[in-house]
Amino acid sequence: MISIAVSSQKGGVGKTTLSINLAHAFARAGVKTLLVDADPQGSVGLSLTRQSRLLAGFYDYLADPGIPLERLIVPTRLETFSLVASGQASDYEAGGGGMGAHLARVRAFLRSVAARGFDLCLIDTAAGLFGVTGDVIASSDAIMIPQQAEPLGIRSVPKLLEGLSRLRVMNPRLSVLGVCLTMVQNDLAESTEAAAALRQLLPPEMVFQTQIPRDGLFVRASARGLPIGVLENGAGAQAVFDSLRSEIEAKLEPNAARG
Amino acid sequence: MMDPIYPWLDPIEVRRLAEGLMKPHREPTIAVEDAGFDQTFVGYATDRPSAPITRPPLPPHQQVAETPAPAPVIAAPEEVASPSIARGPFLDRISRFCDWMRQQFSATGIFILDREGAVIFDESSHGRLHFLARSLALASRRQGASGGNVHVKIGAGATLEVIPVDTAYGCLVLGAVVAEPLSPSHVAAVMDALAQVAAPPN
Repeated sequence: MISIAVSSQKGGVGKTTLSINLAHAFARAGVKTLLVDADPQGSVGLSLTRQSRLLAGFYDYLADPGIPLERLIVPTRLETFSLVASGQASDYEAGGGGMGAHLARVRAFLRSVAARGFDLCLIDTAAGLFGVTGDVIASSDAIMIPQQAEPLGIRSVPKLLEGLSRLRVMNPRLSVLGVCLTMVQNDLAESTEAAAALRQLLPPEMVFQTQIPRDGLFVRASARGLPIGVLENGAGAQAVFDSLRSEIEAKLEPNAARG
Repeated sequence: MMDPIYPWLDPIEVRRLAEGLMKPHREPTIAVEDAGFDQTFVGYATDRPSAPITRPPLPPHQQVAETPAPAPVIAAPEEVASPSIARGPFLDRISRFCDWMRQQFSATGIFILDREGAVIFDESSHGRLHFLARSLALASRRQGASGGNVHVKIGAGATLEVIPVDTAYGCLVLGAVVAEPLSPSHVAAVMDALAQVAAPPN
């Protein structure tokens, strides 16, 4: 199994949208996928399951060693796509615990997910690279970083890289899949220039070719509790996430070969 | 035209950090074949998927004999059924004991530590619980001469029951996650069963 943390230094960069739709793209391709909401705001759960506030979830697992993974997994209409909501314990866990406080439980969680036969565990984390998010990254095989295509976001890149470098000391096998530009507005000069600046700043292999556009469809999909590809006119947006999935698969193949 | 971003950051430093992150991790190569430990040392375990940890306990002066012996009959108080602990390899007996714990008390996350705190059996890798169990067991020993069971609530509907048991090989500490604390008679049954499991063959 491969575990991928979707994390960013900054909030509001489209992590949840990317996580939901990318997980759905993998699941559609036949990859047995578990999408885990490790964001105490519970956005994945709120988007995809209306009763998510009642579900036990990831933070309950961290808080209570007696909870089995089976109790947390929420199936979807797609056989290969399952969810774990953020859970009830997230309210008091949100700011609690320093780095490493939950490392053992996060790793136990990932072991259970692997034992359950999932091929991919995609974890939507809270913003920042500390606390539980740090523990998730320090336990995952890979990380991808959504980055909003706007100047302020780009200025946070050095901090992001420093944070990732620190976490890679804790988890040397962490594979950095790269930065994915999100909320790109091709009709706005500042947005396209920020995207270009980021591509100039970072090594080419660190920035995904696929960019996620800003699109009202995402809001509509979220309102209906669906991945965008399920919407009637969502095929175009789904193609974007299929392209991102292909890029990730290509990046993971050499890693798998290195084994 | 947006403000240039370069006044806000050092592109060379950013590039250096980024390139460092994109380099694949290489396992360090160890030139020395024998690091000075004996063959039983397998290195510091990485936290990767693994089978349950099992290890026979260290006897005080002799190896554990693993020859089959007649099954002892366990006198269980109250309504608790006795575990079927026919003699056999130690780990098989432990495994049957754990099955009995699960059946009788719906116990999960069972682990057994030896008197040094080392893991003899662990089905759940609850590293933090091991530490907690050992601390509780030590604390209970200090307070009373014999040392009884201790339990602590660790979550909604989950209690860690810690039961120190004197055996022929010293004190073993049993930890198990149960829904409710065990009654004194159940604790006695568990202690008796584990003592017999760990008893050397006649």
